[in-house]
Amino acid sequence: MNKRKLIIGAAALAATALALTGCAGTSSTSTSGPVTLAMWTGFTGGDQPGYAQIVKDFNASHPNIKVVQTVESWDTIQQKLPTAWLTGSGPDIAAPSSDPNVIANYVKTNSLLPVVTGAGSSKVNVSQLAPAAVKELTYKGKLYAIPANFATLSLYYNKKMFTAAGIANPPATVADFEADAKKLTLNGGSTQYGLSLADNQTIQMWPILQWLTGGDIVNSKGCSVLTSAANQAGLTTWANLVMNDHISPVGQTGAQADSLFSAGKAAMELNGPWAAPGYKSAGIDLGIAPVPAASDGSHVTLGSIAPLAISAKTKYPAQAQEFLAYYTAKTTQEKFSLTTGFPPLRTDMGDDAALKADPTVQVFTSQVPDARLYLPQLTNATQVDANAYVPMIGKITRGTSVASATAAATSTINSLTGCTQ
Amino acid sequence: MSTDTPRIRRADPINRPQVRNPFQALRSTSKWIFLGIGLIAALIPFIWMISGSFRSEADLFGSPSSLFPTSVTLHGYIGIWQQLPFLRLVLNSFVFAGVTTAATLLFDSMCAYVLSRMHFRGRTIAFWLVLVTLMVPFQVTLIPVFIELFHFGWLNTYQGLIIPRATSAFGIFLFRQFFMSIPAELDEAARIDGASHWRIYWQVILPLAKPAIATVAILNFMNLWNDLLWPLVVTTSPDMLTLPAGLTLFGGQHITDHAVLLAGATISLLPIAIGFFFAQKYFVAGVATTGLK
Amino acid sequence: MVPSFAILGTFVLYPIVQSFVYSFQNVTIGGDSTWIGLQNYITLFKDQQFWNALGITLEFTIASVLVLIVVGFILALLLQGESLANRIVRSVFFFPTIVSLVTIGLVWKFLLDPSIGFVGGIFDLVGLPPVAWLTSTSLALPTVIFVNIWKNLGFAMILLLAGLKGVPQERYEAAELDGAKRGQLIRYVTIPGIRPTMLFATLILTIQSLQVFDLVFVMTDGGPIFTTDTLVNLLYRDAFVNYQTGYASAISFVLFLIIVIVSALQLRFFRYNDVD
Repeated sequence: MNKRKLIIGAAALAATALALTGCAGTSSTSTSGPVTLAMWTGFTGGDQPGYAQIVKDFNASHPNIKVVQTVESWDTIQQKLPTAWLTGSGPDIAAPSSDPNVIANYVKTNSLLPVVTGAGSSKVNVSQLAPAAVKELTYKGKLYAIPANFATLSLYYNKKMFTAAGIANPPATVADFEADAKKLTLNGGSTQYGLSLADNQTIQMWPILQWLTGGDIVNSKGCSVLTSAANQAGLTTWANLVMNDHISPVGQTGAQADSLFSAGKAAMELNGPWAAPGYKSAGIDLGIAPVPAASDGSHVTLGSIAPLAISAKTKYPAQAQEFLAYYTAKTTQEKFSLTTGFPPLRTDMGDDAALKADPTVQVFTSQVPDARLYLPQLTNATQVDANAYVPMIGKITRGTSVASATAAATSTINSLTGCTQ
Repeated sequence: MSTDTPRIRRADPINRPQVRNPFQALRSTSKWIFLGIGLIAALIPFIWMISGSFRSEADLFGSPSSLFPTSVTLHGYIGIWQQLPFLRLVLNSFVFAGVTTAATLLFDSMCAYVLSRMHFRGRTIAFWLVLVTLMVPFQVTLIPVFIELFHFGWLNTYQGLIIPRATSAFGIFLFRQFFMSIPAELDEAARIDGASHWRIYWQVILPLAKPAIATVAILNFMNLWNDLLWPLVVTTSPDMLTLPAGLTLFGGQHITDHAVLLAGATISLLPIAIGFFFAQKYFVAGVATTGLK
Repeated sequence: MVPSFAILGTFVLYPIVQSFVYSFQNVTIGGDSTWIGLQNYITLFKDQQFWNALGITLEFTIASVLVLIVVGFILALLLQGESLANRIVRSVFFFPTIVSLVTIGLVWKFLLDPSIGFVGGIFDLVGLPPVAWLTSTSLALPTVIFVNIWKNLGFAMILLLAGLKGVPQERYEAAELDGAKRGQLIRYVTIPGIRPTMLFATLILTIQSLQVFDLVFVMTDGGPIFTTDTLVNLLYRDAFVNYQTGYASAISFVLFLIIVIVSALQLRFFRYNDVD
């Protein structure tokens, strides 16, 4: 009796408190104004102003549509988005992860609307987008997301250290790359490392080293090829450079590898365009060069894309499509590239004068045709990365023999991908 | 877990007669050398964190063995101030932690009173249910809770943030243990005088439980203030974010600007450190006199 | 009690049940779910990663709780006086407790970085080689355990201090009259006197340690090569990175069962006539 009174009192108190704070669940339900599209992304890095600019320009040129971008960390988006989309409380447009392979999961749960492709200002013109990216985001013949960006990795180098070591130019071949990494390592790494390599919580750098020496991770059937002779040789070379010549610290995360280079304690790093502004402001005498040529003379680098997709439950599919079409348009992409240093998503902008004039954009753009994705369209790719590839690199740089580490990774990969030899 | 000789300790600990037990003899120089090392280990990370928030990247990397900046830069703080609706975040954090703590104190102490003073069937099971909720990692219930909040229409609201958190098993556990140590004779005397359970709870038990209230209040406020995952999950609009949730935006995957991260850490620590500074007299003394059983 | 149970029931107990149901399904949030019976649990018991994570979680818990209780008890003994100096020192030791694990993980991660952190800087200054605290497979787990102890020591100390204060003065006096020596006083008066508090502290710290996540997530994310991969870290990865909700639920129920068993054992171990 008294207790009941108390509960009512407490409820009233809580309600008053909520009313006082003035924000007890008000949502804007204006009907006449512009259509509002919510967009979630995880772009927290130095490239964020580029995305904000796209949204701002779109809103200015489309008075009937208002895109509101919410930026959160990738971890948060991964936790919230599946349930948010399931309950229909999610955003109209989202970049679900920095890993394009997650699109497979959302396709499986019917959470995504296929992107309308074709010519015209309200459609995404697939033929003009980087083919590797389009292929990665296409499932059962339908495009389920556009690439929000397409980054290639280049070789960042510290010009001062190169001069001090008497090296005139950045390495042009993989043989030079290995020799320079050794030469630029001073006192076993305690004062300076030749190369800053990361192997976990990072955009993978090791696949580039494998590709440069004729190796690969999986074949077209999803079967591991890590135990091939070329792979064994390439991985052994680089593992020995790390372990015996100490060209790089062992087991760095992406952020740690970046810090090392930005602190002036490493002479080279493989990294994407987002890193350039930070390195310059840290006072590094920065050079950016294409990744050295592979042992057979060909060129290769790693390409990385973040997907941008439309929710299957959006109330405004046409408007969302229009935004994606605008996103991939030539003028939008030109501005985005110049703001962020990322290459444009399109393949028809190679002769764009403004882009050519910017040396940073130029280096990254020039490598787009050579870019390969990491584990593209592979079944369970995130698990292959976490349970096989990352531990394998971790082991071979800590003394486990390449033969046994690659054998273990191979059996894990083959069971995850369901590979049938 | 009541003892054979329950007792109440309300005396001000400072004025209590000095404890005459054998450990007093340990007070010696070796004790203070041992403690001195501990103190340094306890403090250095905080000194480094605060000083780091004022240092440039070049300074931080150039002289890692230094605890203090060679030159002071504010760019970490300026970066945060420009990118976050700062006052809004602080206000949200206070509303979330403050209102939730107040509700928790009321609900937990009532629940603990029932569990420790009323006899009914299933009392033990009820107590075990409370303990069980302590034993499940939050990540396990995250998805079902999110779906519930959606059905209630509570996502992005203060009630969604607060009500699911308005009681804590830890608080019930602690209050119950404390109430058990209050002699039953006290409320039996009151019962003979015709007092209801409500009056016994409100006029006899609660006034004796001030140390427990202080303990639960501070521990709860602190946990809520520091909570990251919960506000991140319940809120999506930037207007509703709390301070720690807002600061996660600066932990980017790629380049890390240490000064910004450390400035964020310092800012989120500041209110609770100030609160601790003023409240610790009650708190450290408070816990120490709960006679926690 | 009604509001508490309404809230706990709606927002904790019911979701637990829901999650328990998931553990018998192959479920992807938003997708189809199919009833697969015990399959998740069978897979689990064959999963090397699960056994690895279980071992690491137990190692983490045993080391953390043992050190916390023993050192916390010593600190409580040393600092039980109410002099100003004692109170200041207690506050300093307690301070890390109020700071979030995320902040602590972040700061220690930077402090321990071999090339840019303060600890590395000091090592360099006195001529020691840099130590890869968090990237070495043998040092990463002890380092994370150390940081966990560093954070929770003040909490353990203050709980045990409360217990010490609760031991009635008369018992010491009576024992002294009987001619007890110092060691005997600790053995026969102090330790029995603080047993209920020890139980509370051990129980809370054990449950917390078995559920450790934030610290590991921020400092190592389970690496290097899974040497710090705890159970909650593993279930987080399965639920939110690999989107295998059913499997993650199965892991969480095994963890839950372990916590219940360990708690029950502790309750039994500490149970004496005077304990409820």
